[in-house]
Amino acid sequence: MRRILVDAVKCAGCRYCEMLCSFHHEGKFSPSLSRVTVIKEDRYGLDYPVLCHQCDPCPSVEACPTGALRRTELGVISLDEEACIGCGRCVEACPYDAVKLDKASRPLICDLCGGDPLCVKRCPTGALTFTEAEVEFEKPEEAFRAILRRWGIDA
Amino acid sequence: MPKLYGYAGKILRVDLTKRRVHVAELDRGLAVQFLGGRGFNSKVLYDGVGPHTDPLGPENRLIFATGPLVGTMFPTACRFNVSAKSPLTGILGDSNAGGHFAAELKFAGYDQVILEGRSREPLYLFINDGEVEFGDASHLWGKDVYETDEMIRADLGDRRIQTAIVGPAAERGVRYAGIYANLMRAAARTGMGTVMASKGVKALVVRGTGSIEVADPRRFEEIVEEVEEEIYGHEQYWPRRRMGTTRILMMANRAGFLPTRHYTSGIFEYAEEVSGERLAEEYNVKTRGCFACTIPCSRFYVVKEGRFAGLYGEGPEYEALGSFTARVGNRDLDLALKANDMCNRLGLDALTTAECISWAMELYEKGLLTREEADGLDLSWGNGEAILTLIEKIAQREGFGDVLADGSRAAAEKLERGLELTMQVKGLDIIMADPRGLKGFGLGYAVASRGGDHLRSEPFIELSDDPRRGLEMFGVPEATLRLAYRGKGKLVSYFEDWCAVIDALEVCKNIMENMEILPFERAAEVIEAATGLSLSASEVRLVGERIVNLERAFNVREGIRRKDDSLPRRFREETLPEGPSSGTVFEQEPMLDEYYAERGWDRETGIPRRGTLERLGLEYVVEDLERLGVTPP
Repeated sequence: MRRILVDAVKCAGCRYCEMLCSFHHEGKFSPSLSRVTVIKEDRYGLDYPVLCHQCDPCPSVEACPTGALRRTELGVISLDEEACIGCGRCVEACPYDAVKLDKASRPLICDLCGGDPLCVKRCPTGALTFTEAEVEFEKPEEAFRAILRRWGIDA
Repeated sequence: MPKLYGYAGKILRVDLTKRRVHVAELDRGLAVQFLGGRGFNSKVLYDGVGPHTDPLGPENRLIFATGPLVGTMFPTACRFNVSAKSPLTGILGDSNAGGHFAAELKFAGYDQVILEGRSREPLYLFINDGEVEFGDASHLWGKDVYETDEMIRADLGDRRIQTAIVGPAAERGVRYAGIYANLMRAAARTGMGTVMASKGVKALVVRGTGSIEVADPRRFEEIVEEVEEEIYGHEQYWPRRRMGTTRILMMANRAGFLPTRHYTSGIFEYAEEVSGERLAEEYNVKTRGCFACTIPCSRFYVVKEGRFAGLYGEGPEYEALGSFTARVGNRDLDLALKANDMCNRLGLDALTTAECISWAMELYEKGLLTREEADGLDLSWGNGEAILTLIEKIAQREGFGDVLADGSRAAAEKLERGLELTMQVKGLDIIMADPRGLKGFGLGYAVASRGGDHLRSEPFIELSDDPRRGLEMFGVPEATLRLAYRGKGKLVSYFEDWCAVIDALEVCKNIMENMEILPFERAAEVIEAATGLSLSASEVRLVGERIVNLERAFNVREGIRRKDDSLPRRFREETLPEGPSSGTVFEQEPMLDEYYAERGWDRETGIPRRGTLERLGLEYVVEDLERLGVTPP
């Protein structure tokens, strides 16, 4: 299973990924409509794009009571909007806070842009890679702690 | 009327005295005439802040605006302008910053926020998806920028807010206090933070979940991809990624125009020790970027050893770096980082702070200022302890710091000496490039509508020293030779118009202007794709010209004339002692003649001519100036 990996030292926190994501999925620009959400701690110069880990099996898909969320043959997650009842169980089920609801209670969940994720392709600093490798840090806070330790900053 | 895309579409007015809020639709005519950002602000300022308004009184307005491309993925569209009548200069004031504040304001629903009146109790404004809350800030008063940001985040329980904060220096009425977004993105110049604090406002806080739509998504995307590619392929891409603006320090030193020891030299013998190259090599640990920037150029540094070990932060940019090294004769890079960090936390404009200190050092060295007058401080060039102590004293308005807290011009008036040695135009301190080595930049300082500053024109092309550019752009080869005079009027007025458009669109001047990514033609294309407004390239330039003229009219109303468009005597009469910019003074009058002719301003007075204002659709300005007895000839 290929997934998007984050290099949190390379991430400059420009949020270009959020803009690409919302524009290509929703036709408009809005961090609230993006499947990727960049967490920032300005004081320590830290940035981390929170995004889908491509768990297999996917807890959000498993939690969906109507089958609206499913993993396709190509391995990407797709949403059947007709079948979605907006219950938000997928949001609760995601262990990485990578799923959110839009204002109409529709889940925004990464579909890897169909298999060639734009956020990876066009990240200005190359902080994202699409690879088979395992995720290094489960949560942004873990990555932040490791980086600050390396820099000798006592936060 | 077709829908206006790109903009958030609303303007927020807040009466701080009565705690009343008024929301208006963005007027299409305003968008066509002024585009956004600095254009919107200068219009509101001209219309709403009359001559002789007290900059620190309730009648002054503090105006934030962003542009039609901000909140999209147009690279570098992230900036905002904040404007008011300046308490430092007494004329038009404004400052511009990047980061993530402006985009959030758009997502919260506003293109512009106008603050009027004055709150009796300290407050912060929380603009939350269109709604405005007045938060109590009595517990934040006196806190530095970092502490305030953290406390507001804790109060609101939301880490996705964006803040624009003033520090203790602003509260104490230091006349060059700035406004800080993302802690370290400073809208520092001309004392906008001082105005904000005078209104009782500690912070503007925004959070928005809205969205921005563009008129022609397909065309917009095409332009963005072109721009992305051009940026990635540009020769300045890697130097900027690695060093940001600090790359300029060594360039300026090599060309002999690095202001050293208060402009007594253009070469700093320790430049390498305090260079952007050294910062990148030994201190920088990570790149950081503004919103939607594809060439993120900010750098996070950590001081690993020595007395300041454990100091960390973002930046500094060239102006602050050069100001706290060469300008004050300091070779200790760590100390310069500390000085910049203190300015950020206390909320001081690093450049003006350094000029005040540097000016005092020159007086001290010349025997015009005694140690007793300077609170016992040894103000010899490069004395790091004195520099840090003075920064703190200025921010607290304590002792000699109080003398310096109104700016160098006012300090000279208070001490009744050294006015000729203040390196300012119209009260705003000149930046870190000696005009004797860059004649077009110098002309820019002389005429800039906010005082002695380069960001109104920044005719970077002069640095190329390539006569072919001047010939091709202006028909005058000397226009792009840095030590020549001919053609500089054309050069500066062209670049002023361009910079005004860049500031109206609120994109990054470093990239869009310096790297020549967004000429008028492409600006017209992206404006149309984003907003649906159809303007030709020449009409876009006209917007720039309109902004420059309206700002000039504001200053004319405040009494500014040709005599004020003048650089300090040192530049006009003394030459630099060594290096590639030595042996030449700054001959200002012929350049001014050419500039006024190019602008359509009266040669004697520097007032825009009636025909010029009418051509720009500024008839009401003509009437206004007539009423005040300042008839444009």
